[in-house]
Amino acid sequence: MFYFTDSLRSLSASMRNVFRKPTTVEFPEVRRDRPERFRASFALLHDEAGDEMCIGCKACERICPSEIITVELVKKESPITGKKRAYASEFVLDTNACIYCELCVQVCPADAIVMVKLAEEPKFNRQGLVLTMERLYENEKLRPLSWANATRLVEMQSPGPASAVTVAEDK
Amino acid sequence: MNPWVRGLIYAVVVTNVFLTITAWSIWFERKFSGRMQSRLGPTFYGPAGLLQPVVDGIKLIQKEFLIPASADRILFVVAPPLTVVLALGTAAVIPFNADIIAADLDIGVLYLLALGSLTIIPVWMSGWSSNNKYAMLGAMRAVAQGVSYEIPLVLASLVPVILAGSMSLSDIVRFQIKHGWFAFWPPGPGFFAFLFFLPASLAEANRIPFDIPEAESELIAGVTTEYTGMGFGLLYLAEYLHTLVISAVASVLFFGGWDGPFAPGLHWMVLKTLALFAGIFWVRWSLVRFRSDQLMTICWRYLVPGGLILVMSAGLWVHFTKGGG
Repeated sequence: MFYFTDSLRSLSASMRNVFRKPTTVEFPEVRRDRPERFRASFALLHDEAGDEMCIGCKACERICPSEIITVELVKKESPITGKKRAYASEFVLDTNACIYCELCVQVCPADAIVMVKLAEEPKFNRQGLVLTMERLYENEKLRPLSWANATRLVEMQSPGPASAVTVAEDK
Repeated sequence: MNPWVRGLIYAVVVTNVFLTITAWSIWFERKFSGRMQSRLGPTFYGPAGLLQPVVDGIKLIQKEFLIPASADRILFVVAPPLTVVLALGTAAVIPFNADIIAADLDIGVLYLLALGSLTIIPVWMSGWSSNNKYAMLGAMRAVAQGVSYEIPLVLASLVPVILAGSMSLSDIVRFQIKHGWFAFWPPGPGFFAFLFFLPASLAEANRIPFDIPEAESELIAGVTTEYTGMGFGLLYLAEYLHTLVISAVASVLFFGGWDGPFAPGLHWMVLKTLALFAGIFWVRWSLVRFRSDQLMTICWRYLVPGGLILVMSAGLWVHFTKGGG
């Protein structure tokens, strides 16, 4: 008996779908935008003046759950401003073992590392999956950047102003 | 006109019309089912994918027709064309209009049912000759199903025959033009006979939800397992043709055939047939398959006794209204 009532329900469900907009698109011609926070690969950024933003503090190296980031610190004069400051002399991110968790982005005190929406091209060997500092700085120009950087993530995850918290507690 | 010339012209026209509708019904089915599942369906060849059947046909023709080493070669080769011939043969007696009937037989309904039940034989031939256990099981199921559902099909078709007092399909339509469509008048037997006719004929054509002979999840592809290329194409063509003929027959027996206001009869006949055809696709993409024992239960416990009651009530109606409808 339930077969017949269920059949009527499934008939009506499929007919309702006919008049809905299809969820799929014609892929090669129509491409959907990647989500704002798509995590496909990494990039290191330059500031407005064109100086490298990474300060070589190793926060990402410490937080990385897969232990795949290697950073070396060096103090030298900035080629832009001429002032002496900290830089990364070496920054290697081995995506062979990366789990794309975005923790390195979250902890960066300089907002220097972000994720990008477009994945790396396929490579023929494992060494090709190791992102060197040059490739990371190139990715800033090559690939669309994801929304998240450390400041934005901290803002998003903060409990908000103190007044808002007390109002919530009163209720 | 010379009856031979007339017969030849009608044969060519009816065959081509049915094959063309069948080809584009496959496009329609793919588009329709796609939209049901929130997909786009075919879009690539031609506007809205309308050339998809042509591409499908070319693809099937290009493929090699493989015959398994252990197959019964003659039966294996003969079976697919035979299914198509039998499915097309039933189209001969369908009246598209008061004048457009390839063969206006006095025993049109009997001819239809006879040819319809014969389609089991090529299906069995293909299953047996494949020498494959899946094809064999599929064929056995097809035969069991076909033989069982022949009975409710005959009983359901008998109701319009009794009410109209004729086995000629065009006479049945003329009676409906005069007295109202059998699906609505007399209230009861005609409508329920339609409700019985549809599942029984779907089971005859091995369509979902009665596609136990194919049952992809259990039997790979049933009788079509060993067929490639156009052999496979013909078996599927026959299934679609059978479904199309069923829709045409149902619209003649229960929905007044070419009867309808404002437009020429041919338009109404085509409209009703295609509407029923689309309805069958709708059912096919919405329901799930029955189990073999459920199939037999539905047939022998519900459809056959119910069909007998319907035939009896139709007889009583004719008796007490003196055949006046």
